[in-house]
Amino acid sequence: MHDVPTRRVVITGLGSVSSIGVGTAEFLTGLRSGKSAAKPITAFDTEGFEHAIACEIVDFDPTRWIQNLDVQTLGRASQFSVSAARMAVADAGLGTRELRDAPCLVSIGTTDGESRDLDHLVEAEVRQGPEQMDATIARRVPAGRLSAAIAEEFGLRRVEAVTLPTACAAGNYAIGYGFDAIRSGDVEYALCGGADALCRKTFTGFYRLGTIAPERCQPFDIDRKGILTGEGAGVLMMESLDSALARGARIYAEVLGYGLNCDAHHPVAPNQDSVARCMQLALDNAGVKPAEVDFISAHGTGTKANDVTEASAIRQVFGDERPPRTVSIKSMIGHSMGAASALAAIGCALALTEGFIPPTINHVHTDPECGLDCVPNQAIEADLKVVQNNGLAFGGNNAVVILGKWEQDRTEAPA
Amino acid sequence: MTAIVEERQETIKEIVTDILEIDPDEVTETSLFKEEHDADSLRAIEILAALEKEFNVVINQSELGRMVNLKGVYQVVSEAAGW
Repeated sequence: MHDVPTRRVVITGLGSVSSIGVGTAEFLTGLRSGKSAAKPITAFDTEGFEHAIACEIVDFDPTRWIQNLDVQTLGRASQFSVSAARMAVADAGLGTRELRDAPCLVSIGTTDGESRDLDHLVEAEVRQGPEQMDATIARRVPAGRLSAAIAEEFGLRRVEAVTLPTACAAGNYAIGYGFDAIRSGDVEYALCGGADALCRKTFTGFYRLGTIAPERCQPFDIDRKGILTGEGAGVLMMESLDSALARGARIYAEVLGYGLNCDAHHPVAPNQDSVARCMQLALDNAGVKPAEVDFISAHGTGTKANDVTEASAIRQVFGDERPPRTVSIKSMIGHSMGAASALAAIGCALALTEGFIPPTINHVHTDPECGLDCVPNQAIEADLKVVQNNGLAFGGNNAVVILGKWEQDRTEAPA
Repeated sequence: MTAIVEERQETIKEIVTDILEIDPDEVTETSLFKEEHDADSLRAIEILAALEKEFNVVINQSELGRMVNLKGVYQVVSEAAGW
């Protein structure tokens, strides 16, 4: 695989639709200040649930971002993904014409696709009969829309648009796919990330599993009570280093490598050895030693099972003595499912550029079984070189991405 | 044993064996779901949810620790339903 020279891959544009801020500048401000998006759910009727707090986006206007498509033809998750892609392209300073003429990849990860629309269709079917299901809404449902709509919005002609349904790790899968596509020279530009919209189905499912926190998400805390569901989209513009330098583009970070595995060990329980193997795969792929990792953006859902398993896997790979600081931005934005690892990757890229580590908020007492420095409650300034972004999904689908600070002198070192 | 109790027990047994995908003959009052019938935490929640629906009761998830066999399940459902 390594007998042909491969291209280096960098991130040159960021698009963020998050519950702590729509727009990357707003998202950055939220991450730095440790903002919480937790509030009572308005997306659907929550009668009958003892508690119903989530991290919903309440100030999102798709027409502010989407220029060509009729927003009525897009479900909420697709509105998020197209808007985030618009932001990423604008941020990268790339003209639509340049994008149209080049071979491109659009890869968007998701957990639920347009399940918000499915909620409504099923409700109509049950209450009023199948003939009352709305045709416009039905046409929005296929999950392929999350990526295809981005290609449509920009009028891309030489594009592979793919939606990756690998659940809560899907954003990292999408970034990994883009990394390969650019590294190998298959495409010039890749718009990669993830999107999901808050929906009743997912809230109810997690509620039934007993994994929804009543008020707040407290990753790695001894009193953690589970996740808060969330929503949003993160899209990253990726291209080769040569392309970015030739354009004079701002480089947020270099994608150093990634790792994927699927253990299919259990429908919902994470497997420590498998998570550890995935992190090692990513480090090996990136050519990075564990000691070089400056912080880990954890999957960190705030459930009993995830946090202790993930922390143990981290110590398995990084050693018990001084594992890297490990933070969970889910404490702020909740679990945005397919968008989670994409928004976290954006967080990592911003951390490298801006020189800070985002905090794990709502933190009171660290669970000794987790035993990690989770940067409690307050962001810290830090000069960072290498960061690791974990995404762990149901079914044992794990995906880990390694990002590095791009520095001029690194490009001059022998490959 | 009254007919109603027998009927309830039979319904509970049906729900459990259906979810655990086992033959009704394989399960006894005291055979353990996890150790003897390959159940896991997700199946246990499925059983709990199905019982809530069938008998229109609310069962706290903390009761899962007692719902290890048919006998335990019947006790928990009885208490929740006030039988």
